[in-house]
Amino acid sequence: MENMIYVENLRKEFKKIIKEPGIKGSVKALFKPKKEIVKAVDGISFEVPKGEILGFLGPNGAGKSTVIKMLTGILMPTSGMCRINGKIPQEDRKNYVREIGVVFGQRTQLWWDLALRETYAVLKEIYQVPDEQYKKRMEFLNEVLELDSFITSPVRTLSLGQRMRADIAASLLHSPKVLFLDEPTIGLDVVVKENIRNAIRKINAEEGTTVILTTHDLSDIEQLCERIVMIDKGKKVFDGAISELKHNFGDIRTLNFELVNAPDFKLLDYKRRFKLSDADISAERDKGSVKVRFDTAKVSVEDIISYTLSTVHVKDLNIKDVEIEEIIKKLYRQEVSI
Amino acid sequence: MRYIRLHRIFISQYLKKLMEYKTDFLLGAIGLLFTQILQIMFLGIIFSQIPALIGWSFDEILFIYGFSLIPKFIDHLFTDNLWMVGYRIIRKGEFDKYLTRPINTLYHVIAENFCVDAFGEALTCILLLAYSIPRLNMPFHWYTIPLWIIVTVFATLIYTSLKIMTSAISFWTKASGHITHMLYMANDFSKYPVSIYNKFVQTVITYILPFAFTAYYPASYFLTGKDPLFCIGGTVIAGTVLFTLALFIWNRGLNAYESAGS
Amino acid sequence: MSRIKRFFRTYRPFTRAGIQEAVAYRANFICFLIGEIMSAFIMYFVWKAVFLSTDSKTFMGFSMEDMVVYLFITFLTGYLTYSDGAFSVGEEIIDGSIAMRMIRPCSFEMCFLFQELGNRIISISMIFVPIVAGVEIYRYAVSGVVCFNIGYFLMYIVSMIIAYMISFYFNVCYGFMAFFFKNLWGTTLIKETVVGFLSGAIVPLAFLPQGLAAVLNFLPFASLSYTPVMIYMGMYSYGEIAWRIGLQLFWLVVMYGVSKLIWRSAVKHLSVQGG
Repeated sequence: MENMIYVENLRKEFKKIIKEPGIKGSVKALFKPKKEIVKAVDGISFEVPKGEILGFLGPNGAGKSTVIKMLTGILMPTSGMCRINGKIPQEDRKNYVREIGVVFGQRTQLWWDLALRETYAVLKEIYQVPDEQYKKRMEFLNEVLELDSFITSPVRTLSLGQRMRADIAASLLHSPKVLFLDEPTIGLDVVVKENIRNAIRKINAEEGTTVILTTHDLSDIEQLCERIVMIDKGKKVFDGAISELKHNFGDIRTLNFELVNAPDFKLLDYKRRFKLSDADISAERDKGSVKVRFDTAKVSVEDIISYTLSTVHVKDLNIKDVEIEEIIKKLYRQEVSI
Repeated sequence: MRYIRLHRIFISQYLKKLMEYKTDFLLGAIGLLFTQILQIMFLGIIFSQIPALIGWSFDEILFIYGFSLIPKFIDHLFTDNLWMVGYRIIRKGEFDKYLTRPINTLYHVIAENFCVDAFGEALTCILLLAYSIPRLNMPFHWYTIPLWIIVTVFATLIYTSLKIMTSAISFWTKASGHITHMLYMANDFSKYPVSIYNKFVQTVITYILPFAFTAYYPASYFLTGKDPLFCIGGTVIAGTVLFTLALFIWNRGLNAYESAGS
Repeated sequence: MSRIKRFFRTYRPFTRAGIQEAVAYRANFICFLIGEIMSAFIMYFVWKAVFLSTDSKTFMGFSMEDMVVYLFITFLTGYLTYSDGAFSVGEEIIDGSIAMRMIRPCSFEMCFLFQELGNRIISISMIFVPIVAGVEIYRYAVSGVVCFNIGYFLMYIVSMIIAYMISFYFNVCYGFMAFFFKNLWGTTLIKETVVGFLSGAIVPLAFLPQGLAAVLNFLPFASLSYTPVMIYMGMYSYGEIAWRIGLQLFWLVVMYGVSKLIWRSAVKHLSVQGG
């Protein structure tokens, strides 16, 4: 498949002035500021095929936003190269940005004091969208993002969720080929998050828009992305499908048994039965049910189920896949390396 | 052509916003009007005691003063958002937005806002010129009005260019509103005849920060008809040179821009 | 005694914060100062031209020398008594964060006052001596005698400090106006210009028509700038100084009272709004 985004050995360094605390520090900074070079992005390469939704994640300060800002042409890379949609962002900024859409979740690009509709009218001119196409596009965006109920309200009166939908619509008005979403669900409640995810999925499916998504919310990633790139301290630490990530660390499963008689919990002793340590298996009582976490490399799902069923009366049971969140937490804590 | 069309859209959007904040703009315009009127009262007090200020009559001084407000209010009206670049836009990382749009960043920043407060200055300007011109015996030719228009364009460019340059400093330093402010204070030098200053100040406001070309030199040409080459040509040259320099600095600044925040 | 000690211990951190802020924003302060000095020099050149254009040695009773002293001491006084701590009151009212002030166990205006003192202390010490020295050297060079009078100078300091306090409370009152106007830029411009004129900072009140000058002399604005400057210049006898300072104290009490009244109604206003 053809690639929409090429990133090769991208680097960005910043100079930072270090200020010592207190009045003494301030006075010192007055005469002799101490400078330090910070490598925000330290040699990152990856590729994204056309039509993919790529999850881009990493802990705070990992350099995610800096990468996005270089990809969108806002920042000049110190070295390295990125080519998107056949163009180098910094070389021909005006033509390049015509075909991308950008949403920064923490900052709006809407005109604060005007009715939402007015922002779209201005953007239509800025991106030179023809009248006919603009009309169709607004209909489509209205349908996907449900803007109708607040399109005549001033932007400053919108709720956070409405504002985010409005911002996403603004970034899609000119039918971009690539959409950059930086924290698009930050601060939103579950229902609104779900709406936004549906919209992103729909746009990706219907228009084949390539999407790069950074987020702190891992359920965004799980629901939207087939593939993730993970960075930490400016370096890439993982690049692959979510299933691959799970496969690598996915030995931990959780089984949940709902008991007929809650006190029966005492009868279950998984550790002794399978002769395993705390790290490999653990059982936890939660009201009327038991939650068993175990390493599938050490003991099979089948064994656990048959032992439990033979020991106590079970009303219901379910099995939970390993959660990506757990893996990422571990990765950030550097308990595992890839 | 496209930019003219865009500007129309921006202005109409702005007028809608204006309706939302009527009192703010009214107060701003009244404030500017007040500042100017009190300054003129000051001149009135001076001229109640002396017939002429080193050779310039009260009417002539009022003409120069009024003339100095033409480029000032035009610049104020159209490019006021440049102040925000140095004060807020860069420091708060809001500049990112402009870089993701397919139009010229400088144009975009400038077009996004208008400052109708400037009508306070415009009103003073019109009153002063309407009062002083009929009382003065100024030379008038067929080319006076075209020259006046040309001078206005380039004098405004001097103001705008200096504002662009000082705002662009914030691409490196994150904030530069105070530098713009300092420069703005210096433009008060242009309200009076250059001959009242000492040699040092004269040199600075003629050749380094050429505020004298925004008012005194062209105004004195229109008053006396003397030295057209220096007075008008100087304004055109100063405006052109500064604007070229301003664009250069702005573009260098864009490359140095380090977006703030996470 | 211990109460005073505790008072200063409570507010010392605000002064320290003010100093740190001043250092962090030193470039702003320097540029601002240069801008202000430039306008003082423009006025200097204008007056020089005025005296060059007249045959008489004086202009409405002021000699060129008087005028220069007036200009620069007015500039200094304006700088020393300038108070914008209250501007933050206005900003906090507009963005609603003023509510935070009311849950702190200290007087809100004292916080501003001490923060402002810390903020200005470095700049004041940087410009005070050069300007006074410059003015005195100029006076000596022109007249050939030492004009510096320690008595007038000390009276000036007293009068200037009262002027600062009046300015502070006046601006606190002004900051509260943000409740009504929700606007700071335009109203500040109007306020600064009008106060500048009424206080004699643009032209000496003596240059105005007599009736107007007499009225302005009694208004609180003269107390902000004109009174201390006239004292410095030795334009008043000691008897006149005494009652001028008395008038200043009167206006200080009035401003303080008004600010308290407004604050009280503002608190009510806030609790009604739930702000």
